[in-house]
Amino acid sequence: MRFFSFHLMPYPDLPPDYDGPAWITCPNELFDPRLGGELYNRYIDELVYAEELGFDGVCVNEHHQNAYGIMPSPNLIASILARLTSRVRIAVVGNALPLYDPPTRVAEEFAMIDCISGGRLIAGMVVGGGPEYYSFSLNPAHARERFAEAHDLILKVWTEPGPFEFTGKHYKLRYVNSWPRPIQQPHPEIWIPGVGSLETLEFVAKHHYAYMGIPYFHINVFERMFAMLREACQKEGYDADPLQLGWLVPIFVADTDAEARRRYEEHFWYFVRRLLPGINISPPGYTSVRSVENIMKNAGTFALNLDSWDQVVEGQYAIVGSPETVTELLSANIERLGVGNLLGLFQLGTLPALDTKQSLDLFATEVMPKLRASFPGAQRPEVPASAPATASS
Amino acid sequence: MTTLGRATLDSAVGPIEVHRGGGAGPATLVYLHSAQGEGPGMALLENLADTRQVVAPLFPGFGDSEGLVHIDDIEDAAFHVLDVLDRLDLAWCDLVGSSLGGWMAAELAVRWPERVRRMVLVNPVGLYVQGAPITEIFGRTPSELAQELFADPEYPLAQLMRAMDGMEADPSLVPFELVRPFLQSQAATAKVGWNPYLHDPKLLGRLGRVTAPTLIIHARQDGIVPREHAEAYESAIPDAKVADLEGAAHLAALERPDEVATLVLQHLGD
Repeated sequence: MRFFSFHLMPYPDLPPDYDGPAWITCPNELFDPRLGGELYNRYIDELVYAEELGFDGVCVNEHHQNAYGIMPSPNLIASILARLTSRVRIAVVGNALPLYDPPTRVAEEFAMIDCISGGRLIAGMVVGGGPEYYSFSLNPAHARERFAEAHDLILKVWTEPGPFEFTGKHYKLRYVNSWPRPIQQPHPEIWIPGVGSLETLEFVAKHHYAYMGIPYFHINVFERMFAMLREACQKEGYDADPLQLGWLVPIFVADTDAEARRRYEEHFWYFVRRLLPGINISPPGYTSVRSVENIMKNAGTFALNLDSWDQVVEGQYAIVGSPETVTELLSANIERLGVGNLLGLFQLGTLPALDTKQSLDLFATEVMPKLRASFPGAQRPEVPASAPATASS
Repeated sequence: MTTLGRATLDSAVGPIEVHRGGGAGPATLVYLHSAQGEGPGMALLENLADTRQVVAPLFPGFGDSEGLVHIDDIEDAAFHVLDVLDRLDLAWCDLVGSSLGGWMAAELAVRWPERVRRMVLVNPVGLYVQGAPITEIFGRTPSELAQELFADPEYPLAQLMRAMDGMEADPSLVPFELVRPFLQSQAATAKVGWNPYLHDPKLLGRLGRVTAPTLIIHARQDGIVPREHAEAYESAIPDAKVADLEGAAHLAALERPDEVATLVLQHLGD
């Protein structure tokens, strides 16, 4: 079992009288740059702290023009983490490949992070969220084929000697020859996040990558999604390894169940009611009609439709409670979902720094050791021997 | 009213659905539909078919028409329409296009003006007019769109679109079979019209090549395309004029078939 601390880097200060979406058209005059600077530094500290606590890795991700996650360039944050940490895996989950033109940029920056970190990068690749196709005026009907072509190009950059010529439908490059190359050979571990698109599940299975289920759905949806991934792997002629499956979930630990809810609930609702609105826009052609039909079956359980804490608990949209409760719930779900990666969202919405730290501390001392004992299957990733000295080592 | 028959035509990009029928007339009338994908059972076409041979091909991605994978932009769309005319053995035709179909008609007429005898554009998109943007059609709720597309809120399609609004919370509200055509037609429209948004920056400068006398019908309650677009077409096409239609909105071809048929037949000289 591998444990990751995932940070969305949310903007916690939307004014109470703003009731519009947090995406695409959320006015950027609501962003206070001074507060933004404090937040970036605080959030980076929270990720660095995860290494001290014994996590296996940290995760960052990419979203544009929104208050939900103010991290349009996760590679900037990842490169800071590469320098400030010495042991944890750094998972960028991921770069939205179609937004990079040419996508050799992703191959270059990921290789830089891999070099700086001494081979600790996990390279996440993603189609990009629906809102990004509006924010970039990028044609969603070309999303899948651009993603596939960019992926092929990046893998070729990492695995074949340059210079070479690449002539695809969307990218035509006469001299591909990335300096640097990644330390990890043949290439860094690749993760693909998703919400259940059949195309994505089949793509992950075909390439033996790992699939990260994005939260905000009822736990039953994850069960179905991972079952579909296992089935897709079987169609490719193999059984999925638990390390190919990741479950991303908000977690909050306090001394008692009552205290946990009391300290957490309002921050969770800020996240659901203020930051999620707008995230679920699905531009035309972004997913196939058969996938839309499949995803729509789950739409009713999307977190935006939640209106009571009982529903949150019942559907396990967040795992909140005493160390005993959290251990019990996580154990049951790890077992049930068969995942080998737990991606915890410890800071969420408006959750302040002190609460985030106390929850992380309790998780690391009271929960994680028990889960490691219960699920010894996967080892902690080793740091490659070639790792250079870093600031904190 | 003359009922049209449904047929399949093999095009270069794949088999497409075609609705066809009617009388003789001086030229075959080809109808290019809007982003709504209208055609089957459409009153306007049945009306026109009383006096004309009418052919309404459904663009790839609409209805059962295949081949969208081979179409990436409006250039591909224009060549597809040309290919369809070739396969229908139409050396020339009268061309009527609504909205998206009006844009395609104009793109055809600037490239191969000899293939178009007379042309009618109903609330066409296709141009960029400074200060008069085309309303966003992507990412809107169906009920918002319905207000801009239809003059009569009780028009059946407008009612269906309003019912689709609650589907995010409760997908069982509308059977998926009724939603599927909307998803397909939006995806097909995005392919040619996402960016640049529903226009071709080069089209305006090419409109001087159109030789067909052209009527641009502008519906006064069109919530999608401002009248300035009809005026821009009128100024740039050598022989063109605008006709205003009261009490009609963007999908006038669907909602006001009799008035549109009268204007079309007048312009075609019947």
